[in-house]
Amino acid sequence: MYIYIDGKKISANDGETILAVANRNNIYIPTLCHHEALDDVGACRVCMVEITHKDWGGWTNLVTACLYPVEEGLVISTSSDAVRRSRGTTLDLLMARCPTSDVIRWMAEENGEISVRYEQVDDGSKCIMCSLCVRACEKMGCNAIGTVGRGHDKKIAPPFFENPENCIGCGACAAICPTGHIEMKDTRTTREIWEKKFDFVACEVCGEPVMTEEYRDYAIANRDLPADYYTTCSACKKKKLASHFDKVGS
Amino acid sequence: MQKTYVVIPRNCTGCRTCELACSMIKGTEGVFARSRINIYKVGEERYMQMTCLQCVEAACVKVCPTQALVRNELTGAIEVDEDRCVGCGLCEPACPFGHMHFDLDEGVPVKCDLCGGDPTCVKFCPHRALELK
Repeated sequence: MYIYIDGKKISANDGETILAVANRNNIYIPTLCHHEALDDVGACRVCMVEITHKDWGGWTNLVTACLYPVEEGLVISTSSDAVRRSRGTTLDLLMARCPTSDVIRWMAEENGEISVRYEQVDDGSKCIMCSLCVRACEKMGCNAIGTVGRGHDKKIAPPFFENPENCIGCGACAAICPTGHIEMKDTRTTREIWEKKFDFVACEVCGEPVMTEEYRDYAIANRDLPADYYTTCSACKKKKLASHFDKVGS
Repeated sequence: MQKTYVVIPRNCTGCRTCELACSMIKGTEGVFARSRINIYKVGEERYMQMTCLQCVEAACVKVCPTQALVRNELTGAIEVDEDRCVGCGLCEPACPFGHMHFDLDEGVPVKCDLCGGDPTCVKFCPHRALELK
């Protein structure tokens, strides 16, 4: 089937979303909560596009590009006035929610001028409730964090706001967070995340941290690899292999 | 035909030009520690070039929960699809040879991708200790 994005005729497959087609054709649609490997939920509302169709009699609609499936002859605009206004309001609200976030500020500047219409929340939080961390945690099979409450009081937190029992300290939530809200504190021997402390497995040769103990147990239980892969750090593994190769060679 | 990346340790003088070239071309500002190829001294005047072996049955590919590590069939290299990576970092400890590095600042793994079939280290090696044939 064919669709039109910003006047360009593009072939698309049945079941694809507008965002998937745009990404494949290098058409930029800003996103905050989208990730290639995770299911889309349409939480951030930044990827809004305007759609219309020749059979719709001039009627247009604003939809999230990450969720809307393509259909034959769909005409999509990624930067019309309506899109910019909608995106501007969303980013304006996000700016009010987390004024310290550089990503949001950058995105708002990209969209047009930054308007500050709403009262800013000044609690230092950068969380935009995109739930990427929750979905990443689910992907890992841990489900250690989730969304708590609704509406204004919605929060991302471990169950009962206690130390998450299922957390293995992999750090995927911190790595995937688009605004850098989730803090992970690493020292040489410990890692702290979600107020839970983890001890690192120390490399048996040099003592450098390899991974958290819980993560090692998870890897042994869930991945089909020998347990002794997780005992040594990368540098020591390389050193050992280098001397092994040298012995084989000479 | 797919070419093979070959290291010839007896030609290596340990000058580390490959490390410099790699860390420059991969945008890590010439920091040797973040190069994807490393030179190890294994004896008196003997050096070994260590870089990803692009294993046929790779441990990193096996452990990745999102299939973010994919083999480029043209070059034979296993490449990181950064868009698909969730940043769990399991690939680093999973590699039995230590050739996977997880960049905590960027939240993505860093590995040799043979520069898309034209490795910079090969071009810069002054002693022909690295070849693509």
